[in-house]
Amino acid sequence: MQSLRKIKPFRWGIELVLITIFQFISFSNVMLDAGDFSGKFFMIFAVFFAVEWAYTLLMRIFLKQTSFELEFIAFFLSSIGLSLVATLDTDFFESGDLDSPYYSGRQLMFIVAGLIGFIVLRWVIANADRVSKLRLPVAALSGLMLAANILLGEENNGARNWITFGGFSIQPSELVKVLFIFVGAATLDKLQTTRSIVKYMIYSIGCIGALFIMRDFGSAVVFFVTFLIITFMRSGDFRAIVLICIAAAVGALLIISFKPYVAGRFANYRHIWDDPYGAGMQQTRVLIYSASGGLFGLGLGKGMLRGTFAATTDLIFGMICEEYGLIIGFAVIVCFAAIVVYTVAGARGSRSSFYAIAACAASGLLLVQVALNVFGVTDLLPLTGVTLPFISRGGSSLICCWMLMAFIKSIDPRAYPKTLKETQALG
Amino acid sequence: MHNTSKRALSLLLFVAAFLAGTVILAVSFFTNGSKWATYVANQHLYTKGNVISAGTVYDAKGKILARTEGSSRIYNDDPTVRAATLHAVGDTEGNIATGVHSIFQSELTGYNIVNGVYYLKQNFIGNDITLTLDSDVCATAYRALNGQKGTVGVYNYKEGNIVCMVSSPSYDPENKPDAETIAGDSYEGVYINRFLTGLYTPGSTFKIVTSAAALENLPDIYSQTFTCNGSFKIAGSDRGVICSGVHGTQNFESALNHSCNSAFAKIALEVGKTNLQKTVDQLGLTSSFEVDRVSIAKGKFDLSGAVDIDLGWAGIGQYTTQVNPCAMLSLVGAIANSGTAVKPYFVKSIVNYSGITTYSNSAQTRSDIKMSRELADSLKDLLRSNVKNYYGDYTFPGLTMCGKTGTAEVANKKDTALFVGFSSDESFPYAVIVIVEDCGSFGATTAIPIANKVLQALR
Repeated sequence: MQSLRKIKPFRWGIELVLITIFQFISFSNVMLDAGDFSGKFFMIFAVFFAVEWAYTLLMRIFLKQTSFELEFIAFFLSSIGLSLVATLDTDFFESGDLDSPYYSGRQLMFIVAGLIGFIVLRWVIANADRVSKLRLPVAALSGLMLAANILLGEENNGARNWITFGGFSIQPSELVKVLFIFVGAATLDKLQTTRSIVKYMIYSIGCIGALFIMRDFGSAVVFFVTFLIITFMRSGDFRAIVLICIAAAVGALLIISFKPYVAGRFANYRHIWDDPYGAGMQQTRVLIYSASGGLFGLGLGKGMLRGTFAATTDLIFGMICEEYGLIIGFAVIVCFAAIVVYTVAGARGSRSSFYAIAACAASGLLLVQVALNVFGVTDLLPLTGVTLPFISRGGSSLICCWMLMAFIKSIDPRAYPKTLKETQALG
Repeated sequence: MHNTSKRALSLLLFVAAFLAGTVILAVSFFTNGSKWATYVANQHLYTKGNVISAGTVYDAKGKILARTEGSSRIYNDDPTVRAATLHAVGDTEGNIATGVHSIFQSELTGYNIVNGVYYLKQNFIGNDITLTLDSDVCATAYRALNGQKGTVGVYNYKEGNIVCMVSSPSYDPENKPDAETIAGDSYEGVYINRFLTGLYTPGSTFKIVTSAAALENLPDIYSQTFTCNGSFKIAGSDRGVICSGVHGTQNFESALNHSCNSAFAKIALEVGKTNLQKTVDQLGLTSSFEVDRVSIAKGKFDLSGAVDIDLGWAGIGQYTTQVNPCAMLSLVGAIANSGTAVKPYFVKSIVNYSGITTYSNSAQTRSDIKMSRELADSLKDLLRSNVKNYYGDYTFPGLTMCGKTGTAEVANKKDTALFVGFSSDESFPYAVIVIVEDCGSFGATTAIPIANKVLQALR
């Protein structure tokens, strides 16, 4: 595969204009659907555009960044999520339950927070010494967060993966994803000693075990695959990966035999039409309404899936298909595959193996999570209740996804043309 | 560094698996999308289980059988027509799987994967379906069955269009009996279209098939004589085939006229297991074919464990033999049409809201029925002789009918009365089948008058 350095970046100006046109149509659609309430969204969308343009122009002018593909994908996906969440507000305006755009306001706030997290993390990992120094504190922080979650966690839809903190509900498992990759990639970049491997193994088993205790099986799978990617990227030992997978399969079988409720949660997999008004409710509705949307969609706010539980969180892929149409729905899926291909190309030119490992782990994590979400709600895989990155309503997930992009961005030499020579020398 | 970039390539395996899943998902949207979107839980298309946007169903003469007004489905004005065409039209709850409401649900609502339900919601009209049925003839048949269980089918053996398809018991969809009543014995199998998916013991109507096997395999069949003294026995067996009378000495034709069990048991043994099975298969009774997307029930004919006396019973349409009414009708249609079987259908056309025909039927030959012209003509003469010399042409005033009756014995029930036949008149090319279950009377006394009433209504 060609190295990213040799691939000429797309013209960022044209990209920015095209993506703005898409978003303008999308937001206009929301406002048209809102009718008398359309004015309430004006500020939300104006701020979104302001943030997007300001980020792009500032990066272009001050850092001379030439490639913006990753950020534009993130902005594209985030704007779809923002639009759908805004139509949720419209529903509440119409029913009289809300008089200000509560959900879209929060979603916008999380997008901005995510963007800030992205910028900060880019700065943090730009310096290898800093990464090395932060490794242990970050590992400790992630352990602390998961421990707090187990102790203070609240049950939500079968999983205990929420804690409420000063009026905000946060999902520590989402933020730990970022820390997990940070620790994994940084640890392994150090001397490849048995001790460092064992320490990382213990850390990983601890994280994944904590997720099992929280019954957040979807996140456990996401973490496990990320762990596999990091281990393989580091060791290149294919046999070790196979052994780990066998061990994990045995472990999973043991869990299922001792805790039958785990299997019970997936009992309706491939049998959703046997109980379309009970256990198969969510998946059947996703299929019914996605097919109702056709290729071009019914228009924002015109869907019926929104009436189903978790429509704007876990099931939001169905809402995209129904309201934006299957073409946009599949375009969203393909975006995530594109991010991974981008990473693989970038790994060749990255400044150090920390960046290559972190980027591969981050993009692989996103891809696995999308697969679990999209194929889960459409019954190709068991439904595990993970969110659709960048799009699902919710703060922790959105901020985490933006921060993961910092790892991926770190491998692109074109992002820092000014320091290109310097980084080449380092690599 | 070099290592990590190589190892990064392994991520492309994830991408490949992911894209494969994406393709599977896309394909399943195209193949199953209409099934999913027209599911009754779709609130775009249904309110309280009633489809809110669906086209009109017409009969062959343009009479409205079902249409949508507001959010409810309205059927024909005449309660008898509603009950008589129920199995062809279908219900809105999806209980009647073979009705056009179910099998052409996506066409009726006008759904397609490209536009989704967009235009349906805009226009509140779906596609219109025109059936080949004549609702008046169906109502006549339903009245003639007079509440007895059974089925009546009539089709044009040259063109293939089914003009009458009635299955009883039925009910008026605008006045459906309560759940308890419909679960009772009098409504047994009410959701099944007996004509398309039912199976019956054919009794003596099966002698048409045994005759065909004899004509194919016994060159001297016309010169043989059969002596009937009330039953047929095989040396060494105390089980025999009982005949309905003592017919004395007969030739092949008069044995068929009398429907002599003794003679046909003997013929079956002479033909032999293998040849009889071959004829049954060649005449399409054991194969399945589709009538407007409905798979016709496959008949059962299995002599693998049969001893000689069983073969004798099989030759007169008993033993374990079962046939489907539509397959049987198609078979006599082939005899009438000089050996060419025209496939039956009951949906004439589907026209969408912009006036474009999206589905239509025309005469199509069934290649799975293999019948030579000679065989067809011989059988036609024999069946004509039955009506002319035995049942009497007066039973079908003004018609030139050929056919065969049957009175089938069914375990734990009274006899089933059957008639299957056709008009040999070129200007009235219709074949008919009448089956009345659990009536305890003969095909000639019960089924023929019903067949006559229906055909007279069609003239």
